[in-house]
Amino acid sequence: MKNFEMLMPTTMKDAVESLPEERTNPLSAQATRILAGGQDLLPEMKDHLAEPDVVVNLKGVDELSGSVRNPGSEASILGTGRIHIGALTSIAALASNAEIREEYGVLSKSAESIATPQIRTQATIGGNLCQRPRCWYYRNEDTVCLKRGGDECFSYAGLNKYNAILGGGPSYIVHPSDLATALLAIGATVVTTQRALDLSEFFTLPSESDPTRENVLEPNEVIETVLLDSSLGASNGWKSTYIKFMERESFDFAISAVALMLKFDGDKISEARLCLGGVAPIPWRCESTEKLLVGRTIDDKLCEEAGEDALRGAEPLEFNEYKIPLTKSLIAKALKELA
Amino acid sequence: MSPNPIAQPEWKKRADMKVLNTDLRRVDGEAKATGRAVYSHDVRLPNMLYAKFLRCPHPAAKVVDLDLGPVSAVSGAIHALAIESEETSFLGQPVAAVAAESLEAAEDAIRAIRVEYETSGWAVTEEQGLDPATPSIGRRGNSFVDRETGDLDEASAAVASADVMVESTYTVPVQHHCCLETHGLVVDFDGKRAKVWASTQHVTGVSQQVAGELSISTSDVEVITDYMGGGFGAKFGIGIEGQTACRFAKELKRPIHLMLDRADEFLFSGNRSGGRQILKAGANMDGRIVGMTAEIWRHGGIARGSNPGQPYIYSVESSHMQMGSVHTNTDANRAMRAPGHPQASFAIEGIVDELAYALGMDLLDFRMRNLEDPVYHRQLDRVAKEVGWYEHGYRAEPNRSRGGKNVGIGFGISVWGGGGRPVCVTSVRIDPDGSVTASTGSQDLGTGTRTYVGAIAAEEFGLKASQVIGRVGHSAYGPANGSGGSTTVASLAPAVKDAAHKAREQFAERLASWLECSAEQVRFEGGEVYSTAEPGKRLSWAEACSILGSRPIEASGEFQGHLQTQGVHGAQAAMVEVDTQTGALKVLKMVGIQDCGLPLNRLAIRSQINGGMIEALGYALFEERVIEPWLGYALSANFNDYKLPGCKEMPELVAIIDDDDDRQQVIGMAEPTIIPGHSAIANAVHNACGVRVYDLPLTPDKILMGLTKKA
Repeated sequence: MKNFEMLMPTTMKDAVESLPEERTNPLSAQATRILAGGQDLLPEMKDHLAEPDVVVNLKGVDELSGSVRNPGSEASILGTGRIHIGALTSIAALASNAEIREEYGVLSKSAESIATPQIRTQATIGGNLCQRPRCWYYRNEDTVCLKRGGDECFSYAGLNKYNAILGGGPSYIVHPSDLATALLAIGATVVTTQRALDLSEFFTLPSESDPTRENVLEPNEVIETVLLDSSLGASNGWKSTYIKFMERESFDFAISAVALMLKFDGDKISEARLCLGGVAPIPWRCESTEKLLVGRTIDDKLCEEAGEDALRGAEPLEFNEYKIPLTKSLIAKALKELA
Repeated sequence: MSPNPIAQPEWKKRADMKVLNTDLRRVDGEAKATGRAVYSHDVRLPNMLYAKFLRCPHPAAKVVDLDLGPVSAVSGAIHALAIESEETSFLGQPVAAVAAESLEAAEDAIRAIRVEYETSGWAVTEEQGLDPATPSIGRRGNSFVDRETGDLDEASAAVASADVMVESTYTVPVQHHCCLETHGLVVDFDGKRAKVWASTQHVTGVSQQVAGELSISTSDVEVITDYMGGGFGAKFGIGIEGQTACRFAKELKRPIHLMLDRADEFLFSGNRSGGRQILKAGANMDGRIVGMTAEIWRHGGIARGSNPGQPYIYSVESSHMQMGSVHTNTDANRAMRAPGHPQASFAIEGIVDELAYALGMDLLDFRMRNLEDPVYHRQLDRVAKEVGWYEHGYRAEPNRSRGGKNVGIGFGISVWGGGGRPVCVTSVRIDPDGSVTASTGSQDLGTGTRTYVGAIAAEEFGLKASQVIGRVGHSAYGPANGSGGSTTVASLAPAVKDAAHKAREQFAERLASWLECSAEQVRFEGGEVYSTAEPGKRLSWAEACSILGSRPIEASGEFQGHLQTQGVHGAQAAMVEVDTQTGALKVLKMVGIQDCGLPLNRLAIRSQINGGMIEALGYALFEERVIEPWLGYALSANFNDYKLPGCKEMPELVAIIDDDDDRQQVIGMAEPTIIPGHSAIANAVHNACGVRVYDLPLTPDKILMGLTKKA
């Protein structure tokens, strides 16, 4: 690990002022890095993938302290319409929060599927959304791939068993965040020091902008809160689930994951939200499939149609074709679970 | 030699044993679990320097320029050495090393070194190794055949004329040892004498090698391996790390701490060789395998690789085997728990299953028809009962139903030697204060050596296991074996028994006059000493020892061939569940039975069986060294991408000691327990869903694509 200076701001103002205002080149923002739980940043620094001169530790920032916060009374969750989750909330706190478990099963399930108990205790929701790709080319210090400012995505013609089947190009990473998939389904909002962003606007495809980035955060922009819209909660009739498929159940990143939320009118689906994880460079929302589901009763035929529709645009690389039937099966499993 | 020995040492009858052949908790378990145990990694000496290697990032390269100069500008860096300044031949080969005041400074210093490489051609796959354009890797060329048995024409004709014939290619990847403690040592050399803390499977060998490196005599080298975090065959010699630590120690006259990091461990400290096996086999309707041809290619990197050959344990009327190696620019394989055997097992157990299915025969029945040794029949029957085979619905054909989760069962068998060698000299000492120590230079790899060394003496003196201190892993405790080939227990236990036996005889002589009887009449039982002439008159152990006055008893023991033997079998069964929609594989249950002659510590033996099954589980499910074939990057040199099973992967494990083996001699049994588990799992996967995965590991992508094709 390269030596660095660690700053310990106590206010968000100080934290933001210690960050660079502009991104002068794709990697300039790397010179100063934000530390939350450190579960991704520290390994990146140890592997020399990140070599910041300055690390800004957010743990002392007052505005970010606390865990899952609801500014209203318990009864007013629905009234205020929002559950606020502080950016430094640990994954473990998120997974064990009773309110969230009740309202958003999809989020609790995705939180408890992450890594190991030790990592969940340390890792934060903000950090989880901002984590860097796990692609083994990117993680190898000797490669200078597209994600590291080079000009080639080695996975495209390489060992791409774990890479993207949807939304790929010019980089074929898959976004590693489980929470992102669940939060996109919930329609969460990310509140930063500069703006409020719908989660669908937070992540960015490599084809849309600078391929060294996975999200639209500016170098001096910090996530403060994640807001959940309770009109999509269980109290409003939504049922939800998260199914994560891993090679190794004990702890692993998703090979494919499905976040599904459904609202029923009798046995017919009245509203649907479907997002996929582990298959695209961003959490992948399947809007046409959502439309297809509405008005239908869950049966084998619908499961098959939904899978077909969701994966219609999939373009497998040489070694990841299996993700297509796998993801179709996971969608079917999720639908049957909520039926 | 004790004077006038009364009798040869003999193991007690099993029924008479109070300590041995029981469940003994390991005496050092608490120290290990609480972190009090000091491993070589943990040693910190005043004035100590930390050393580290720079690895070559290319599979093979010419070192055009190696500039160690920049190291001097790194704060805390003391010295740098060139290790290889001409040409590297495998990915990750060390080219330079540094010593520094801290590990952090050593890391910075390594990164400061400037190397200019020139790469031409290299090979990291078998295909590349066979490409004539690839520069020569080994002295014998990049591929060669070095073993051939049987008559090809005869075997081929036998296969062709059989009632059913199958032909398949089985491949296995390179597996890593994954010792929790990496390789390395701490060398403290004052110019005349050296003290070394080594993570090694061979204390005696390390003292000889370090003496050679430092140009001093072996008697001036003290080697300590109080605790070590695993070896599995990779830690015999001192290696490049030992040589380099000695170079630094000699030049700098300061203690050197050189333990490899995890990437080093993955890239240049050995592995289980991979390989490809093409098997053709034929069987007749009566269930006999009548012919087999096997073409075996071992993938041992710059080394040869290992495989014991086919048809392994099975009887085949006419067989032919051709075995060769293909070199690549990757790390040399080393011994790894039952070298070669798991590889051979995977192919033969697969083809045996394929033949049975082709004949529509019960898989277990078919195995037995082709195994002559009745021990295998007994053991297979036992694991079959335990795993639920006789109630299983798919014994002669796989379950081909789709849509749900299917359960399948598979089998595999093993074989091993496990006999001892005359190398260990041990000692047992009884002090007047009642304390007893049994000492050996042999190391405890984590197998429980320390526990049984004490227990053997405790049994001899009628004491509890906790009343004897077992001391291991120190060159001063006498010459000892290298722990390889499961030879430790059979080499060491007879020597400890011999020393304890002699100590008991000496003690009896000393006590005879006190007890007013002959030495032959003295008995040591239940923590007491008495004469058979007057059993009512008893001394406590402490009282008896106090009679020794100022003259403790000390006896030295040597190998006693009749106390050990060799030759063990083993059978395992696995029950798995395959999700036919996703390809997810869950191993539900593994059953392993192992014969081992006279069991010394039943708990440790069952733990070995469990450990073997778990290591095979990893080989089955995940473990695979991945080197990028087109760019030559090491993609799996970490524990994120090189996956080991965790707690959620653990099946129900049933470890059975085969007590029908009534041999009254000890035999090593650690290695055979790893041989058949992955084969049983692979066969169970096929039994569950009709998909045979021919190349390990059995990852869900392969199973799912197989299911997609079969649908």
